[in-house]
Amino acid sequence: MKKNRLAIFKYSCCAGCQFQLFFFQEHVLETLAAVDIVYCKMGASGGVKEGPFEVALIEGAITESWQIDELKRVREVSHFLIPIGSCAVNGGIPAIKDIYPEMEVEKRVYQDLSVIHSVKAHPIDDYVRVDGYVRGCPMGERDLLELLTSLLLNTKPSFPEYCVCVECKLAGTICLLMSEGKPCMGPVTNAGCGALCPSHARACYGCWGPAPNVNAPALAKKFEQLGLSPDDIVRKFTQFASPKIEFRKGAEMYE
Amino acid sequence: MSEKDIFIDYLARVEGETAIKINIKGNKPQELKLNIFEPPRFFEGFLVGRKYYEVPDIVSRICGICPVSHMTTALRAIEKAMGINPSQQTRILRRLMALSQMVSSHLIHLYMLAMPDYHGYSGAQEMLPEFAEELSRLMRMKKVMNDLTAAIGGRASHPVSAVVNGFTDLPSSQELERRQRDLEKIETDAVKTVRMVSEFSIPDFCRKTEYVALKAANRYAMIEGNIVSSAGLEIPEQDYDKYFEEQEVSYSMAKRARVKDRNSLMVGALARLNLKFDQLPPSVKKLAKEVGFKLPDYNPFHNNLAQSLEIFYGIQECRQILENLKLSLENNNYRVRAGEGAAFSEAPRGLLYHRYTINARGVIEKANIVTPTVHNFANIEEDLHHLVIQNSDLPTAKIALLCEMLVRAYDPCFSCSVH
Repeated sequence: MKKNRLAIFKYSCCAGCQFQLFFFQEHVLETLAAVDIVYCKMGASGGVKEGPFEVALIEGAITESWQIDELKRVREVSHFLIPIGSCAVNGGIPAIKDIYPEMEVEKRVYQDLSVIHSVKAHPIDDYVRVDGYVRGCPMGERDLLELLTSLLLNTKPSFPEYCVCVECKLAGTICLLMSEGKPCMGPVTNAGCGALCPSHARACYGCWGPAPNVNAPALAKKFEQLGLSPDDIVRKFTQFASPKIEFRKGAEMYE
Repeated sequence: MSEKDIFIDYLARVEGETAIKINIKGNKPQELKLNIFEPPRFFEGFLVGRKYYEVPDIVSRICGICPVSHMTTALRAIEKAMGINPSQQTRILRRLMALSQMVSSHLIHLYMLAMPDYHGYSGAQEMLPEFAEELSRLMRMKKVMNDLTAAIGGRASHPVSAVVNGFTDLPSSQELERRQRDLEKIETDAVKTVRMVSEFSIPDFCRKTEYVALKAANRYAMIEGNIVSSAGLEIPEQDYDKYFEEQEVSYSMAKRARVKDRNSLMVGALARLNLKFDQLPPSVKKLAKEVGFKLPDYNPFHNNLAQSLEIFYGIQECRQILENLKLSLENNNYRVRAGEGAAFSEAPRGLLYHRYTINARGVIEKANIVTPTVHNFANIEEDLHHLVIQNSDLPTAKIALLCEMLVRAYDPCFSCSVH
């Protein structure tokens, strides 16, 4: 059987999603047997950068122009292109800087800005068409397994597209927002983590980014009722997905 | 005079993006640049204006391999700034997380990033099926260590339950017993790892430098201690800025850190072993002796061997801690206060520094982070310089490979370095 050719490209991020792939627990060896990783700088030297690829996995947010050029080229030679992890899907942590003037942020770190060529952080689908999202910070193991299995079976992968609350209800976890008054991002955050934070008695902080069609303004109002300051509410909605319209709607009311 | 140009446009099998440029005339490098082109990430810039409780979750995303180190160091810096003294239980749990993450990180570096060099392969996938046994061993050990980090932090990568002044949730005693049993199962794997690494044909290269690590009186320090060096430095963590300085480098997005008015320095597993070998248990010392590890060791390639010994140590130490561990839910309350705090930890790759200034509302006013690779940057270039001189007779491709192997031996993290 001809193996599927897979490539991994990294932009601005912590590389944790690629490590998630390496540490894919018991599935690593079977994945390597089923898929040909033809380009992955962190895993092997050399490689076929030019493609073609059945699947290109893209990690990280876009923060420099050369990344856009490369990304467009990768899109042209890839059958499926999938952003993996919050930075690639939503802008993630790198996009916190998007809510401040770029130069203010840069000046706090470097004196000589002549060698800095950063732009505001953007998710991958701001620049190219994508064929699905493997969400998570780091990307979820279940979604990754679903993606690779679908690839082998030639079926359409099914990713959860509902909020963390659903997983809390399924797990029977007591609602931290309603019963304990903790400012939980669960009602607007995409599921897939298995409601990890609430199951550890901690309010969800939104690291998977927004689920489709969520009502962030309603949650923002709830946070206000709980006594959060406008600044705190803005910070809630700009920590992991500041460029995403679903979260912007929650932040905008209090900016 | 003969001239050679080495240009490695990207260095594979390291975390993050870097290029190496060397021009050799005769037997001397005329130009030598570790060109870290990983896009800068501005954490110190955008942390300003964020709330203190967001910081541990945000900085954990500086690194996908050592998130625990960034998180724990930030937590301690914040606690110091606000005058909070976490309980003994919290400190022990943080040490467990740090040790388990160190073992995981070393494992990946040795088996997947470094090992292919020593067998002439491009990467781990090519090493199959010849090294199937070794790679299964890696996966087995990695899973045990990840499960331990996750048992305490809720998630191995980017933990969730570690917060200011404690943990939101604690593992059950049954869970801790399971983790202890798993650790027992991989102890022989750890010995095999040390032996395997000791059989790599490690290049013969020595250059004495200043080794810097965190040291405490009564244990192999991972989180708390003083900064000590092989050149006689011994300072408390809050005095770092008085003795160290960071400089921007025109051709690199990462800065270089040094002790003021001194040459380059080395941090990481080899530095730790050079400075704290005495504090290791007899079993680790015995194994070190068996595989020919001698102190002091000035060969940076031996950082790999030092890492393997730390794997063996880390697993034993985790087991020992778990044996006597009884956990109880604690009151984690604290008061938000203005202040400035600095903290260090031994990340897997070496000394990591976080410093924050926090105002009375708990908002960050200033942030400074210095990562292990920033500490090692100047030393890597110095080592490359001498390695090139020593091997200038070799064909260009051979010199290039040696240079790649040297940089890899440091287990650098370029993503961290441009934080």
